[in-house]
Amino acid sequence: MRKILTLSLFLLAAPAYAAEPAESTSLMSPNTGLMFWTLIIFITLWIVLARYAFKPITAAVEAREAALREAIEAAKRDRDEAALLLLQHRAKIEDARADAQRFIADARTAGEKVRAHMLEEAKAEQQEMLGRARREIEAERDRAIAQLRREAVELAISGAEKVIERNLDSDANRKIVETFLASIPVSKPDRASR
Amino acid sequence: MRRRLLLAATLMLGALFAPAAAAQDYAAPPAAATQDDAVQHATNVPERVDIITPHITDSHSLEYPCLAPGWACHLELPRWKPIHIGGLTLDLSPTKHVVFLWIAAALCLVVLIGGARAHGGSKPDKSPRGFSNGIEAVVLYLRNEVVMPNVGPHGDRYVPFVLTLFFFILFANLLGMIPYGATATGNISVTAVLALITFVMVEVAGMRTLGKKYIGTIVFWPHDMPLALKLPMTVIMTPVELFGKFTKPIALAIRLFANMTAGHVMVLALIGMIFTFGASFIGLAVFPFVMVVAIMLLELFVAFLQAFIFALLSAVFIGQIREAAH
Repeated sequence: MRKILTLSLFLLAAPAYAAEPAESTSLMSPNTGLMFWTLIIFITLWIVLARYAFKPITAAVEAREAALREAIEAAKRDRDEAALLLLQHRAKIEDARADAQRFIADARTAGEKVRAHMLEEAKAEQQEMLGRARREIEAERDRAIAQLRREAVELAISGAEKVIERNLDSDANRKIVETFLASIPVSKPDRASR
Repeated sequence: MRRRLLLAATLMLGALFAPAAAAQDYAAPPAAATQDDAVQHATNVPERVDIITPHITDSHSLEYPCLAPGWACHLELPRWKPIHIGGLTLDLSPTKHVVFLWIAAALCLVVLIGGARAHGGSKPDKSPRGFSNGIEAVVLYLRNEVVMPNVGPHGDRYVPFVLTLFFFILFANLLGMIPYGATATGNISVTAVLALITFVMVEVAGMRTLGKKYIGTIVFWPHDMPLALKLPMTVIMTPVELFGKFTKPIALAIRLFANMTAGHVMVLALIGMIFTFGASFIGLAVFPFVMVVAIMLLELFVAFLQAFIFALLSAVFIGQIREAAH
């Protein structure tokens, strides 16, 4: 470190510093030539810079600011539009949901109706079948009664024949039996046939 | 925005490696001169050499780095015959400070027009990258935060003036910070003219905005006072108003000049101390060296600060006269 410093001192101390010209101006004395130059240089610089530097920069910055402002506006517009769309979509979804609810409710009521209808139908059919069965039974019964009666007549006749063969007039006897049979109430054999 | 500020900061930091080199440059004259004297006179009494005045004053030669003794060669600038306009003698031959004003102006043109070019034609919603973006940040900051709020409504037309002031002074200041450079803004003639231009600009702005009322900024005429009071008030206050008009630009000129000069005197004095201290014990030279670096950094800051203050105050003065309603 010390060496370097010494060396640099030595180097710097190399001879002859060319003295400043003797007419070196004093600190405060004005120099009209320099003043004139300053004026010329500054005015020229002002005009040139105003025209070729500051104007384009300002214009560019203003254009950029305008572009940015526009972009922000556009973004805001888009956002508002999106919000509106979202709202609409939400409303639509709400509608759809309500529709679905209504459909389900409708289906349910329709189902209820169908069920009730079918139930009723089934009941009616059952009733009808019951009635038919009853009617058939009655018919069967009537037929059975008639047959029974006929057979009873036959039996009675054959019985009476046997009796009459031994007796005299069969016709008179037959009449007696017929009248007797007719006097017998219908219900009694009915109950007996069951 | 953050990125732009970062770039602006980098821009400032970029200039920071100047001090170390500059220290070497400034160091050359005293040591060299002492050695020279010792050789020539063969005496032990070192002749007193002023290294400060030549550095901060104007001259007719430019220094440039070369291997010659003192690490500097001198380029004599051409001398032209003075022009006589009436009683005024104008010596338009370029001096060191004139040349550095040219360089500062050229740098302004390159940097700012280059910055403007980066904007050219491309999509308006894209900001330029890198250096141009930094320039744009500075321009925009000065426009929106310095000029517009101070100048008042319709301040657009004063923006180029204040921006030109800022950049021109800034580059002139910074040129003084580089080795072999000269600080044109450390010359009272230069700052006086800049202040004069500002003065004219302020008054023109006043006339433009106030119209007939501009007279009110010169002649004090209180409307809400009885005539008996009006007249003495006018007599007393008019000189005060006028005085105020002139003190502002004078203060501007002296502030910039004194700041730039004082900083350089300080740096040069401290550089001289490096050799004074180092002559007795080399280790002692470290202290002034550290101080030189510190002051150099401060000077860099001051270069920006003074340019900013000059521009800011110009905007403030324009704003003041525009809303003056006496």
